[in-house]
This record gives sequence, C-alpha cells and structure tokens, in this order.
Amino acid sequence: MLSPYLLLLLVPAPPLAVFLILGLDPFFLRRKAVQALALLGGIAPFFAMLPLLGLCLGTECYGVMPIFTLVFGQSEVALALLLDPMSTLVGLTVAAVGALVITYAIDYMSDARIADLRRFFALMNLFLAAMLTMVLAGDTITFFFGWELMGLCSFFLIAYNTSLPQAVAAGRKAFIITRFADAFLLAGLLLLFLEANSVRLDVLIPAGTMMTEERHVVIALLLLAGALGKSAQVPFHTWLPSAMAGPTPVSALLHSATMVAAGAFMLARFSPIVMSEPAVQTIAAIFGAGTAAFGALSAIFQTDVKRLLAYSSISQIGFMVLAIGLGAPEVAIAHFVVHAMFKSLLFLAAGDITHGSDLGTSLQAMRGALRRRPISFLAYVAGAASLAGLPIVTAGWWSKEAILATAWEGGAFGIAIWVLALLTATCTAIYAFRPVFEALQPEPAHISHARRGHPVALDLHYRPRWGSGFITLPLVLLAAGSLLGGIIVGPIIRFLGAEAPHPAHLPELVAAVAPFVGMAGAAAITFVPALAAAVAGARDMRRPTRLDRKFQRWVIEPYVRLVRFLAGNRIGARAEAELELRHVQIVRWLSRGARMDGIYQALFVRPFVNIVRWLNGHRGGTVDPVGTFPVSLALQGTQALVERLAHDRFDRFWMRLANRLVRLWVLVCAIQTGRSRDYALGAALGTAALLVIAWGTTWN
Amino acid sequence: MSGATFLILLALSGGIFATGFFGLMARRAILFQLISLEMMLAGPALAFLAGGAWHGSQQGQAMFVFIIILAAAEVALGLALYLALRRGADVEDSDTITGLKH
Amino acid sequence: MSDLAAIWCASVALACAILAVTRPAIVHALIWLVAALLSLAGCFFALGAGFAGAVQILIYAGAIVAVFVFVVMTADASPEALARERARLAQGWRRPAAAVGLVALPLALGLLAGGTSPAAAPDSGPSLGAILFGPWAVAVEVASGLLLAALMGARHLGRRREEP
Repeated sequence: MLSPYLLLLLVPAPPLAVFLILGLDPFFLRRKAVQALALLGGIAPFFAMLPLLGLCLGTECYGVMPIFTLVFGQSEVALALLLDPMSTLVGLTVAAVGALVITYAIDYMSDARIADLRRFFALMNLFLAAMLTMVLAGDTITFFFGWELMGLCSFFLIAYNTSLPQAVAAGRKAFIITRFADAFLLAGLLLLFLEANSVRLDVLIPAGTMMTEERHVVIALLLLAGALGKSAQVPFHTWLPSAMAGPTPVSALLHSATMVAAGAFMLARFSPIVMSEPAVQTIAAIFGAGTAAFGALSAIFQTDVKRLLAYSSISQIGFMVLAIGLGAPEVAIAHFVVHAMFKSLLFLAAGDITHGSDLGTSLQAMRGALRRRPISFLAYVAGAASLAGLPIVTAGWWSKEAILATAWEGGAFGIAIWVLALLTATCTAIYAFRPVFEALQPEPAHISHARRGHPVALDLHYRPRWGSGFITLPLVLLAAGSLLGGIIVGPIIRFLGAEAPHPAHLPELVAAVAPFVGMAGAAAITFVPALAAAVAGARDMRRPTRLDRKFQRWVIEPYVRLVRFLAGNRIGARAEAELELRHVQIVRWLSRGARMDGIYQALFVRPFVNIVRWLNGHRGGTVDPVGTFPVSLALQGTQALVERLAHDRFDRFWMRLANRLVRLWVLVCAIQTGRSRDYALGAALGTAALLVIAWGTTWN
Repeated sequence: MSGATFLILLALSGGIFATGFFGLMARRAILFQLISLEMMLAGPALAFLAGGAWHGSQQGQAMFVFIIILAAAEVALGLALYLALRRGADVEDSDTITGLKH
Repeated sequence: MSDLAAIWCASVALACAILAVTRPAIVHALIWLVAALLSLAGCFFALGAGFAGAVQILIYAGAIVAVFVFVVMTADASPEALARERARLAQGWRRPAAAVGLVALPLALGLLAGGTSPAAAPDSGPSLGAILFGPWAVAVEVASGLLLAALMGARHLGRRREEP
C-alpha cells in the first residue's frame, strides 16, 4: 500500500528534474523544447499540490514522508517531508505563483539567446524547487538546504546579466548579506538540534518551547535575525532594492512568494518558539512595524517602478513579521498568500508595460500604458488597489485588516502599533497609486516603440496592444486572485486553526478611509505641479557624486556661512533655511534606504579590505605576518633585552642565543630538499620511532 | 585458523609493506614509486583481512573496500600527475622536481 | 589446509613484491605487481574472504593495473633507460634499506611480544553491506567524496593546455 504522502516527493521533483536536464543539457535542445520543458517544470508542482490539498481538506491534514534516517547514538538525523495545513497552503501558493511567473517568462524572455534562456529557466526551476522543498520540509536539514539553495539561485538570477557590472555586484550583495543572516539561522537551528536531539520539526518545536529560559531567548533571537536577513527587513534591507538588476520575472518570483517571504514563513513555522518568549515577540513586532513604515516611506520617493515595488515588498513583509510579533502567525500566512498574488501581479504587469522601453523601468516609462498595453495596465490597477487595500473589493484589505485588528486587540502597545500601521497603510496607498497616475499621463514624445530592447526606427517594431496568451493568462488569473482573494482570508485563518479577529467598528472605519486618503495624496503628488516638482527635486539630489559632496562641503557651505555672518545673523531666515535643509536631508535619507549601505561599507567592508591589504604588505603591513612572526618576535625580544642590559655578559649571552637561532633556522631549512624520496625517508624514520614507542608502551 | 598462521600472515603483510616502502625510497622513477605505493597499500590490506578472518568479523573486508578506494584515488591522481609532468617538462625522475620547496 | 594455502600465497606475494620493486624494466615490474596482487587475491580466498578476493582481481589487478598499462606505454623503454635505472638502484639502495630495517624491527618485535588471544568466532557475522551502509555509512560517504575529488583532480591535471 503506497502512502498518499508519496505525492509530497512529486512536488519539488519536476522543477528539479527540469533543472538537471536544462543545466546539463545533453541533447542540445532547441528554443521551443527549452520553453516547453521549463513550462512543464513550472506547472507540474501546482498539479501535484492539488490532490494534496484535497487530501488535506478531506481527511486528516497531517502526514510525514520520511526520506532517510540515520541514528547517531541518542540523536537522529531524519530527513522527511511534512504535510500540515501551513505547508499545504504556502506550498500551493508558491506552486501557483511559480507556475504563473514561469508561464509569463516564456514570452517575456523569448528574445534571449538560447544559452541564456537555458541558464535562466534552469535556475528559475531550481529556485522554485528549492522554495517548495523548504516549504514542505519536515526537518531542519531539508529546510536549511532549501533555504540556502534559494539564496544561491537568487545570486545567479540577480546577476543574470553577467555583462552588467552592477548586476553582478547586486547579486553578490544579496548573497553576502543573506549569507550573513543565514549564519544566525544556522546557529539557532543547531542549538535547537542539541536541545531536542532530533532534526524533525514535529519533535524539535515542542522541545524548543520547553527549554530553559536563557537558551530559549538566544535561540528565538537567532531565528528572528535569520528571518530578518532573508526577508530584507531593517537593518538588512539594502540588498533587496539592488536586486532589481535581475530580469522582471526573477523579481516577481523573488519578491512575492519566495525568497523574501521565506523569512516570514520561517518565523511562522517556528512561531511556537518565538511566541513563548514575550520579549522576543515584542522585538519582532517592533522590527516588523518599523520596517513596514520605513519601507512605505522610502517607496514614496522612488523614481524607478521596480525599486518602488522592492521597498513595498520590504514594507509588506514587515506587516507579516508584525503579525507574527503580535502572536498571530495564521494572519501572517493569510497576508503571505494575498501578498504573493498581488505583488507578483504588480511586477509582471509593470514589467510588461515597461518592457523594451528606452527609459528602462523608471516611472516615466509607465506613461501611456492605457493606450499601449490596456490589459497590463488594468491588471496593474487591480494589483495596486489590492496593495493599497481598498475596502471590501480587494483581497489586500481583508488580510491587512486582519493584521490591524490583531494589533487593536493587543492593549496599549498594540494600539500604538495600530496607529503606526495605519499611517503605513496610508503611505502604502500613496506609493501604490503613484505609478497608476503616472501611467495615466500622456506618453513622453521621445519613447520610441522599440520592441524588446531592439532600438529600431519608430513604429517599425510597434508592440501589439494585446499581448500573447502567455502574458495575458497569468495577469488575468492573478488580477482575479488579487481582487476576489478576500473571501478566502477568513477560511485560511480558520484552516490554520485560529479565529479571524473581529475588529471594533470605529477602527475598521478609520482603516477603510486610510487608502482613500493615500490615493488622494498620490493624485496630489502626481498632478499638482509644485508637489511633483518637490518629489522630483528630491530625486535629483539623490545621487551627489563625490565631487559634488566636496564642492558642497568646501565651497558652498563656507560661502553660506560667510553670507550669513555678513548679513548679521538674522535668526528668522536662518531657522527657515535650516528647516528647509533638514527637510531635504530627510527626503534624501529615505530615498536612499537610510544610507544603510554606506554604514555597512564604512563599518564592515572597508576595514576588512584594509586588513587584507595590510596582511598582503600594503600600507606598511608585513607580507605573511604569520610566517615571519616567530622570527621577528625572537629578534625583537633579544633586541629589547639587549637594549636594557647594555653591553655586558648578559648581552653577549643573548646575542649568541639569537645568532644560534638564526643558524638553527638555516640548518632546519636544509632538511627541505623538495625531493619526495627524502620526505619518504623522513616518514620512515618517524614511523619507526612511533612503532618503537607503541611497542614499548604495550610491552608486558 | 591457528594463532601461528595468523602471526605468519601478519609478518608477511608487514614484509610486503616494508618492501613497498623500500621501493618508494630507493627508486627515483615516478612510475616505480607508484608501483611501490601499491605494494604499501596491499600489505595492510592483507593484515586487515587476516585480522578479520582471525576474529571472524566482516569488518576486515569492509576496511579492504576502503583501501581499494584509496588505491584507486591515489592511482588516478598519481598517474595524472605523472602524465602532466611528462607533458610539461619531460620529467620522469622524482628527484628533479623540487619546485615546491619554498 | 586453507591455512597453509594462505601462507603459501602470501609468501609468493611477498616474493613477487620484492621482484616488482627491484626490476629495472618498468614492464617487468608491472608484471610482478600483477603477480603479487593475484597471489594476494588467492590468499584472500583462502582466508574465506571471497568478496575481497574477487574485488582484488577485478578492480585491483584488472582496472587499476590496466590504467598503469596505458601509462607505461608512454614510458621510455630503451636499453639506455634500463641501464640508467639499474645504475640508480645500485647506487642508492643502502639508506632506504636501513630505514626499512628500522621500521621492520619494531614490527617484528611487536609480533613476538603480542600474545595470540584465541578469539576466532565462526565467520557468520553480519554481512558486509550491512556494515558498510549501516554504522560505517559516513565513512563510505567520505570515501565517495574522495573518489569524486580524485576524479576531478585527474580531469584537471590531464586537460590539454593551450600552447602559449
């Protein structure tokens, strides 16, 4: 009798197989065959998940599929896949979004060279397989394996355009920062393993909740740090906006259901451990709410639609972390599902609208979208409405409302968080609708209708208004999900075994008004020329070069000070100017992601580079300090003593010692002949000595 | 198996090992040294199997499997190195290769 | 009876080994190596370790020596090379012999010293596979990693570089 849980193995297997075929490619496949294989690998997990969902809804929703078990003394290493409500739900979401994104990528990437296409789809499939493996993992080893594999794939995919140095740099940055955070996760998981003597989640998590106090706090904090890094939360957020260097389908997959959301999923998975420690829970809530607010504020000032969406991902995942911090992982998972739908929709639609534009992915490239790509534009509007959380009609409202209601019920601290989250929701609506209003404006004259990156004569390669089915179908399905998905938020929360929160009427009404306020704000900064100029001005000041900064510091500022001094320090004007200056600084700070990159550069990268340089003999360092250390220590030591004792007997004694050391060194060097036979002779003598010792010690 | 047989087999395996060791040190051509290394691995293999037979345990054979894996890896790398040396500088005397000294 | 066979085969192996490391011609040395390995295989059969004997014949005397043969084909087999090899051996055998004597002496002393505790249980223990893939599974994994590394190393060393 075959266990029905064998199906679990079939979920990550097809993309993995497609990765192997495309990666090794023994057949020299043609373009059509590569696309067909990629599509197969992308869609198959979804159809493998469907019977599992049926199983889960119908009978018992708990099953373990052991893969491999090894017992070491008391500890056991048991690799397994696990089916429970959370893994079913998240796995289904990941499989669905992955299938749609890969379908979209078939058309989107169709102009790439065949070798690039193969690499791209091989990695996309591996990425999907890794995420599914992580979601369905029943033990920490499989979990960590999927987690790391995903990090590796994201590195390769972000650096997909290997000819662009900034793409490679962005990939490296993503890899290093997430790896740094993964070290925390690994430490936490290993400590948990030591505690539970098992890697199986069903043993590990109950054991984790019953630990002693100190270890508990440490492990919960380590897990939290790992999740913050993977989910690009403050202070690890800098890699995500840079990661936009990858192609749009990569961003759509990376930002919606996989990679960044993996951190939130991990926290939800290990939520019993995090939740049994109130202090850590509070920290998670504060980090989540802070990141949500920060991401939303930063997103308003972006001029590139993909960067804007990146900051929005940071912000939305902040909401998930907040929900977990408030003790409602079920609500976080519901938001995960809804966010996966509307965020992939936004990326896919924006990518389709700006595809092949001369302006890259800047906001201006969105202009004239209604005329050029009506379906994509309408899909984008649906996604933006869901992101902003327009009441009742969008899925985003229901899940965000559940988070807000959970916060409202959480006492005084909860109400403070609620206020912050409400302000964040308003900002969310502002940045969500900015690209929409931008797209309503007429197209700038100099957009040539170059199709897919070929700069050709005007209108020769005009893109058809209606995209192919590979683009339209995912957009329509995701748009439907983003709008109608609200009806499944309640069932999801109940399915995961919790009660949907019922908010009071007043806060619900206030929360319902917030998106409209945000929409008005977005309209204002798009259509009111003065405000638009202010935001655009912030953008122009965003990237001062080094020369600019020097000029500012050494020429302009002294000049301003001099003028003020000569003008007799009129206080009113000065205060006004400072206020102005501060305003500009804050905007600039936000648009650059709080300058965390610069801080990292100064704190970690540059000292490390300096140490390495010093160790290599630059800047007055010594070449190979480890090797020369003993000799230089001996010489310095004798010298120091000689200075003390002047020229007497001690002096001569020490000098003789030092000289002998040098002679001894020469003698020892003579053994180094480089001939293997001499070394064999040395080994023989050593063996003989060891044997004599062994014989002597066992003599009786 | 009698105890005397066991001791004799151990002595013979030690002899095979020592012969290989002698060849490794006495010969200068790389190929001869590789052959000597094979002998050095064969000696302990005999000792393990004799021990396994003496104690009635299959672990001797299991260790033999590891030895053969080691021998395969050693031969693959050794011969590849030999061919690379021959191709690069036409060296077959191991005494002339002293470039890794410092 | 099988004891005598084992001792006889091992003695032959020792003699062949001595010949293998002292022949000046590489082809002769290789033939003596094969002879030594085959007689060791006979010794393994006599000891009741049929699997080890078969592996010794198939992999050691078969596959590994076959690789040797391919390489030996590229070696220099002229009379001058033979004379040079003989001269080298005549010139430098004393020091290695002394060193080997130093190693062999404590080995022999250890044999004399160690008592022969009778522990011979019947050869009906757990099967070989159960050991290799049960308690020793990690070692097998490590060994497979070693083989993989050797494969990649040989591939790397053996690749043809472009002439500058």
